[in-house]
Amino acid sequence: MPRQKIVIDPVTRIEGHSRISLHLDEEGRVEEAYFHVTQFRGFEKFCEGRPFSEMPSLMARICGICPVSHLIASAKACDEILAVRIPENAARLRRILNLAQMVQSHALSFFYLSSPDLLLGMDSDPATRNVFGVMEANPALARDGVRLRQFGQQAIERLAGKRIHPAWVVPGGVNEPLSAEHRDAILAGLPEALAIAQRTLDWFKTEIERFREEVRVFANFPTMFMGLVGPGGNLDYYDGKLRFLDAGGHIVADGIDPSEYASHIAEIAHPWTYLKTAFYKPLGYPEGIYRVGPLARLNVVDGIDTPRASQEWAEFRELDRGAVLSSFYYHYARLIEILYSLEKMEQLLTAPGILDAHVRAHATANNSEGVGVSEAPRGTLIHHYKVDRDGLIEWANLIIATGHNNAAMNRGVLQVARHFVHGNKLTERMLNRVEAVIRTFDPCLSCSTHADGRLMLEVELRSHEGELLDRCQTR
Amino acid sequence: MPNTLIVGYGNPLRGDDGLGWHVAERLRALVRDPDVEILALHQLTPELMDPISRADRVIFIDACEGPVPGEIQERTIEPQAAARAAFSHHATPAALLAGARALYGRAPQATLITVTGADFSVSDRLSPEVSAAADAVVRMALRLILQGATLPVRLRTRA
Repeated sequence: MPRQKIVIDPVTRIEGHSRISLHLDEEGRVEEAYFHVTQFRGFEKFCEGRPFSEMPSLMARICGICPVSHLIASAKACDEILAVRIPENAARLRRILNLAQMVQSHALSFFYLSSPDLLLGMDSDPATRNVFGVMEANPALARDGVRLRQFGQQAIERLAGKRIHPAWVVPGGVNEPLSAEHRDAILAGLPEALAIAQRTLDWFKTEIERFREEVRVFANFPTMFMGLVGPGGNLDYYDGKLRFLDAGGHIVADGIDPSEYASHIAEIAHPWTYLKTAFYKPLGYPEGIYRVGPLARLNVVDGIDTPRASQEWAEFRELDRGAVLSSFYYHYARLIEILYSLEKMEQLLTAPGILDAHVRAHATANNSEGVGVSEAPRGTLIHHYKVDRDGLIEWANLIIATGHNNAAMNRGVLQVARHFVHGNKLTERMLNRVEAVIRTFDPCLSCSTHADGRLMLEVELRSHEGELLDRCQTR
Repeated sequence: MPNTLIVGYGNPLRGDDGLGWHVAERLRALVRDPDVEILALHQLTPELMDPISRADRVIFIDACEGPVPGEIQERTIEPQAAARAAFSHHATPAALLAGARALYGRAPQATLITVTGADFSVSDRLSPEVSAAADAVVRMALRLILQGATLPVRLRTRA
């Protein structure tokens, strides 16, 4: 049998456009797998020449799902250019916004994109394996998903004025304090949101046993993990130091100031994708592969400072002796993070001074360079700008969560394909699992390539001479 | 007056695609009635199923492609579940109505008003044809609001 290539195009139920190609050897076994991101945007280039003060609102346009993450990382980079320490309450309000973003984005990933696989099964009828199938099979779960995302979106709107592309976060802080009315409205919704998060997590834990095969082969291999770690080693999405952890759970590098990221993280470009691949610089590529996002965050931290999420985290960490390695557990980690985000929002919204009106520091450009790092739903987000003496952007570098995860996603596709793909014909069973492993990472390709549109997947099967043998498209 | 939800959607940075968004913004400035909720959105998302299920009627306003720029069409929408995997974080009016009925037990009567766009390239302005149609759609929507529960009204108006 000649060597062949299978292409999945487009990949569905993710954010953005991509394609997967699987190369088969003469025996019909998967030899290599490539996750191609087929969209390009170029934000790093076209922001050159713009005033740095425009960057948060400009960068928020990178994504309609997680604009808040870009707003925050960008504003933090601009804070450094201003060389100001922003008011304490401004940092608190930015934190709450980021937590609300985490809730709505994780709810979208879990309930809208992945719950059809998790509730109905990976091998269920593809005609009904969608949110409508979930609505019919378990309307309570679907209502919970809608309500939880609604809660997060409404909290963002109450804080920042609008859900998508809000302009509230600015260099130096935020441009409006929080009103008592909006604080009370968000607090009023928290008990219901917490109850949803807890019962969904409880339900998911009972379902994991059904997915033993997926746990075993869904990007389940040793890699390092990276994430921000807050004071006391606790989970923190807004501030802290970067930490790298190896697969055995040992700290490889710790206390890295975000401004020093370039000493530890490098990127390479591959000719088959627009998505750059990040790696741990001291080990080089591909040895320096690492993962970010919910799974990585729960692996790298020493604890969580909210009661319910802390308890769930302790149970989660019992899954493996070192770091929790299977990417299937991204789903599990995501649910714990929703719980944490809601608990943390409550802590911050009831903190003294939350209604303080001093929420912005004013200055002109005092530094020629700034790095802003925060944890976005999909992982660590880095914005790095250099400005000229007039404060115009001369150079920008964005390292997005999906880029950190690129090497692991590719390897994950290879692992799943080797397990499920045999011969030269594509099957639904194989196709959905190749997509599902990518969904565990919840990649955002619009963010990571800086392209418009939604994610679809296409698979092609080709002989090593390039002859098209089979092709599937999912929408 | 019945509880009316108006949903204008589209991308205001892609020329005529922003028709629904522009019309909703103008209606917001004109209508001050607690029984009328007006949303200007980039796209339809599943969270809308909840407010839709609580409304007595819904008016969706959107741009569309077609041969006659500025042409206005109005039609009744019936609940219809989305095709495979088409319903993730964006949706169609019919799918949202089906979802509202499936999850909350109620799908109100619904009308979709569309205007055929002339230019969907990057711009924050409507083309002259669609801009004129937007004026007509604002008037249509106001008439529908005032008419109460007598949907659907006339079909097809030409700007």
